[in-house]
Formats: sequence, C-alpha cells, structure tokens
Amino acid sequence: MHDKHNKDAIEKSLNRYKKERDWFAFLLQAAEMMDTPEGKLQVKLLRILIDSKEKVIDCSENGKPFIAAYYCTAPELFTAMDLPWFMIMETPFLAASAPYITEDLEGTEEIGLGTDLCTAIRLPIYYIETGQMPVPTAVIGLLSPCDGTTMLQQVLRHNSAWKNVPLFSPDPPYSSDERAIKYFANELRQMVRFIEEHTGHKLDIDRLREVCEESNRCYSLWQEYNELRRAVPCPHGWEIGGAQAFAVSQCFKAGDPRCTDWFRQLVECGEEKIKAGRGANDYAPERIRLLWFDIMPYGWIFEFMPWLEFEWGAILVTDMFSNFPYTLIDTSSEETMFHDLAKRNLMDVPMIRQARGTAENFSSDIVRLVKDYKIDAVIWPGHMGHKDGAATAGIMRATCRDIGVPFLHIGLDLFDRRYTSVDEVKDKVSQFFTGMGLG
Amino acid sequence: MRPFDAQVQRVTEYVEFMRAQGRPTREFTVPRALDDLRASLPIRVGAGANPKIILRSETHVELGSPEAGSCAMVLWTDRPSMIRDGAITLIGPDVAEAAGSSLPFGQIVLVGGAELGPDEHQSIGHAQYVADQIEGYMVRSSSRSIWSRVSTQAAQKGFSFDTLGRSLMVVFKSSLPKVQAMEVVFVTSSKDDVLRLNDIAQVASDIGAEIVKEHWKARGFDLECDLDCRSCHDKDVCDDVRKILAGRLKKKRTADAQRAS
Repeated sequence: MHDKHNKDAIEKSLNRYKKERDWFAFLLQAAEMMDTPEGKLQVKLLRILIDSKEKVIDCSENGKPFIAAYYCTAPELFTAMDLPWFMIMETPFLAASAPYITEDLEGTEEIGLGTDLCTAIRLPIYYIETGQMPVPTAVIGLLSPCDGTTMLQQVLRHNSAWKNVPLFSPDPPYSSDERAIKYFANELRQMVRFIEEHTGHKLDIDRLREVCEESNRCYSLWQEYNELRRAVPCPHGWEIGGAQAFAVSQCFKAGDPRCTDWFRQLVECGEEKIKAGRGANDYAPERIRLLWFDIMPYGWIFEFMPWLEFEWGAILVTDMFSNFPYTLIDTSSEETMFHDLAKRNLMDVPMIRQARGTAENFSSDIVRLVKDYKIDAVIWPGHMGHKDGAATAGIMRATCRDIGVPFLHIGLDLFDRRYTSVDEVKDKVSQFFTGMGLG
Repeated sequence: MRPFDAQVQRVTEYVEFMRAQGRPTREFTVPRALDDLRASLPIRVGAGANPKIILRSETHVELGSPEAGSCAMVLWTDRPSMIRDGAITLIGPDVAEAAGSSLPFGQIVLVGGAELGPDEHQSIGHAQYVADQIEGYMVRSSSRSIWSRVSTQAAQKGFSFDTLGRSLMVVFKSSLPKVQAMEVVFVTSSKDDVLRLNDIAQVASDIGAEIVKEHWKARGFDLECDLDCRSCHDKDVCDDVRKILAGRLKKKRTADAQRAS
C-alpha cells in the first residue's frame, strides 16, 4: 500500500515534467525540418535538453540519486560528480511558451498565491504544493538574487513531500571582493560534501579539471560569438544567441563536449553570415539595434519578438543573459578551481551579477554594451518580479541620458501575458520608437 | 583632490623596475598637439574608423586574452607635470614581432589636466574602451580587462604599439578636452609582468569605485545599501522575531527534555 502510494506520488510528480519533455520533443520535430545552420543548432540544443530531462525522469522512476539545483550553483560540479540535476525554476525559463502554462498560472491563483509574487517563483511553488514537481534526493537552494528565491526554499521546508528532503543553500555574501570569493568557495566545498553525503556521488578533482576545461572552451567560444554580434548588421536576432547560449552553457550539463560542439557551430554560423554581409533575417533589414536588459519575455515571445523585427526592423543585438565577463576557470589546482567557480557563480552569471551586486553593475554594463554593440535603444522590460532591479531604474535612466541613448521602462510580466497585454507592450514600444525617431 | 597620484608614481617605479630587470624597453616620443598626432598616424582614428569586427581568421595578433593575461587601467591627476606628455613606453615585443601569436597585454594610460576631477572620472575610464574608433584594432567586449585584436590588414599598414599609443592619445584628447598631458605604457613581455600590475590596478579600481559611489550619491542615488542594523527601519521587527525564535527554541528544548525523561 505504502509502495503503491509512493509510486502514485512519483508518477503524479512526473506527469507535468514529462509533459514538458514532450513539448520539447515536439519542438525538436519541428526543428528537424529546418534546413538551415541555425535550425541544426536548435536541434542540437533540444537534444541536449531532452537528454537531461530523460535522465531526471529515469532517476526519479528508478530510485537513483538526482538533485534540484541552479545554474548559479556551479553546475560544473554536478557534471563532474555525474549527478543528474534540474532547476526547480526551469519551467518559466525554458518552457514558458508551452500551451498549458496559462492554465498553470491560473492554478497559482487558485491556491492563493499572491499575484504580485514573481511568476518565475509562483509557478514552481504551485507545482510543489500540488505535487507536480519531481522530488529529488537533495536540494541545493538559492538565496540570491532576490527575496523571492529565498522564500522558495522556505516553501520546501513546509511542504509535506519536500520537508524531509535534505537542503543546503550556499550563502552568497553581499560584497564582491576577494574575501567574498573565498567565502563562497568554501560554501561550494560544503555543498560538495553535502551532495556526497546524501547522494553517494563523489567529486574527483581530476574529473572536475576535465569538466572545467571543457566549460572554459565553451565560454571562450561564447565570448567569440558575442563579438560577432557587434557586427552591423547583427548576424542573428532573438531566435538564436544569448538565451540559448546561456541555457547550453549552464542549465543542462555544464562542461559537456556536446555543449562545446554547439558553441563551435554557433560561431561558425555567425562568421559565415558576417562574411556574407547578412543580417539576422533576410526579409526585415536591421534598422534599430536593441539592448533588452533582462530575460526575454518567454511567456509571449513568439507574439512579440518577430513583430519587433518585422514591424520595426528592431534586432535584439544583445540582452542581459548574453554578454558577461565570463572569466575562465584556472584549473591548475583544486583551490584555484573552487576559487574561480565561486567567482563565476557569485559575480559573473546573469541576473546574479546585476541584482546581487551593487547597482553600479547595471550602469557600467549598459555603458559598455551600448558602446560596443552600437545600441540605438535600451529597453528595461520592468518585469513585475524584478523589484530589486526596479529600484535601479532611475540609475539606468540617468546612465542612458548621460550617454545619449534612448531608454524605455515598460512594466510587464516576462512569463504571463495577462499582466500587461502583448498589444499594450507593442503600443508602448511603438510610441517609444516613434518618439525617439527610431526605425 | 588627487586620488591616483600615488598610483601614477607606482607606475613610474614599475617601468624603472622592468628596465632594471633587463626587459626590452622601447620609448617613443610623439607629437602632443591633437592635429599633429592625427596627421602622424598610418591608420584612421575616430568614430566608425573600424566599422567591421575583426574575425579570428583576420587577426594578426591577439592581445590580453584570459590565458595570456591582461591588465588595464587609466589613472588621472590634476597635476599635468606628473605626466610625460607624448611618451609611449613599450616593455616587450611589438606587433610586427608577434604575428600569429597571443600576447599578454598591459595597458596603462596616464592622463593629466589641471581641471580634471571626480566628475570626469567615469568618462576618463570609459575612453579606454575604444569600440570602433581605431582602424584595424578591436577591443573585445569584456568589462574586466582589455582583450583586443590587431587585424592583418592593419599590421600590413605598419600598425605598432607606437600607433596604438598615438591613437589612444587622439581618442582621449579629442573626447576629453580637459586632458592636457597623456602618457601610455604597454607591457607585452610576459604574463607575470602584466599581472604584477594588478596590485596597482586593484587599488585604482577600489578608489574609482568610491568616486563612482559618491558621484551617484551627489545625484541622489545610493548604489549600496546601508548595512548597519542601527540605522535599519526594521530593527524593532527584527529584534521581536529573534525573541520569538528564541522562545520557541527554549520551548522545544524543554519539551524534548521532558520526553526524554
């Protein structure tokens, strides 16, 4: 009886996860029909993604160890430990365009979650509270960049299915100096000990070195690709680039040779287009070069981004997740590897870099990106959950004014189209472009 | 206010130290006037001078990659006499001697102007990221260091560190009229030599961060939160929460002890 109850609970917890896997499998079928280099890139990405989901499903169904963790908790360590993992928050980041999401958003309201809570936090809470999230062997919690993520870990402690799942949250210091890096490096070491204790998977330093070197190859290629997007016209738009690069490098299996292969192909694609003088697409010439300074609006991306390109010739040249100081990991010793993993995950990774650090990061990143990428306009989407960033909107506006680039602050929900309708967003953007004499 | 004078002095001492250590050191003296500088260049300098990016296949030499090592800083002073206006120092190989290679790269720009002050600090710092302003030279978009490329075409035109130094002088002097004197030091001798500059760069960066913080504060923006509990509005609530937690813990311990007995 107990076993059947457990089996039913596992099956229920995997239903939605499998549905998500199937959604990506459907997208893979569509991508396989695209006979373009970029199409082939999408195929490779989706195969890596689906493979990581299949591993989690296999572990859950067969009682093998797996963990919940985050892109900013040194995923290279999980690869080195050969430990499957998933992000509790991955649905809003990866699958917000799935057709069942609106129903799930309504579900969050039905269980009484406040609609002023970030959707990226609200959705996973709903899945957890309704038993629709695979329950892992252990959880690596996230305590930055916002209060919402901290609260998410508290939800786990109060949920009957999760409260006995061991949880460790690396403590992120506020500052970003050498002392902070060393402190966080020690937190990562404690995290490794925690994972070893609860999963039985051990960390081998030589294997970690291999993974970090592979990860370095990925980042070097990513850095190279980021340079290509400075070309006028930009070789790619919103469809391929930053979001995928972020996902491939950090969200599935960091430091995997398949990821390096993906980046190698990405760079080759970009170089070919630049040599041919081709822009992001052949039917909407580039007229406005945009910096979208946040996550892309995954919940309604297919209704908005193509419109930006077709209607305005506005190409998303770079965004918050695309362009970072991804310094390479020094693999000469265990100490340098942990030091540099700490630095990367505390100070380099997107969103954490801006929202955990001082507000100066918002300002200095904008100045650099506008200059290097020849940006015509900066858009701060003003996601309802990014209240930490909202506090810096004034600083961003003042920065843009100082450097003479138009700045738009919209106010929307990146994952829920009901918050600010897509038509309203289009209207605001159109008025902005018209008012600034762009396009 | 002379926040960087001590670091400017340290740079002078560094160059002397490198020379004393036997590093190949070359000095170039270039025109000081902006028009003369421009006229002396074999390449274009100015907005859009390098409109295309430099692909890997078009690169003559890569400078300051993460593997090779990089360090860059701009130090300013309101005492132009501290700066040897028109002086370019190169410690290590030049561009022509490094075809196809990846060199470590240290770039120190020293600027002096009687009217330079904290208000100019950010503009001075940003000026070193030249974007597309130097023909055949591309600074990669990285917020941490100067990582750049010289194109094969530029190298064929005779691009050297002398050229780069002059170009930087044109960029700085034309965009920052308050700059009266400018000196540039390049280091390409070894990664260790370049990273030795990090001590100076870190101090300069810390000083710069304080200047930026005060600059924004003067405009009414706080870049950092006040972390002192004594000034926190929520201190009373926080104290109450602690008392409640302590009470619960005590209750739990009593209950556990009773159960155990």
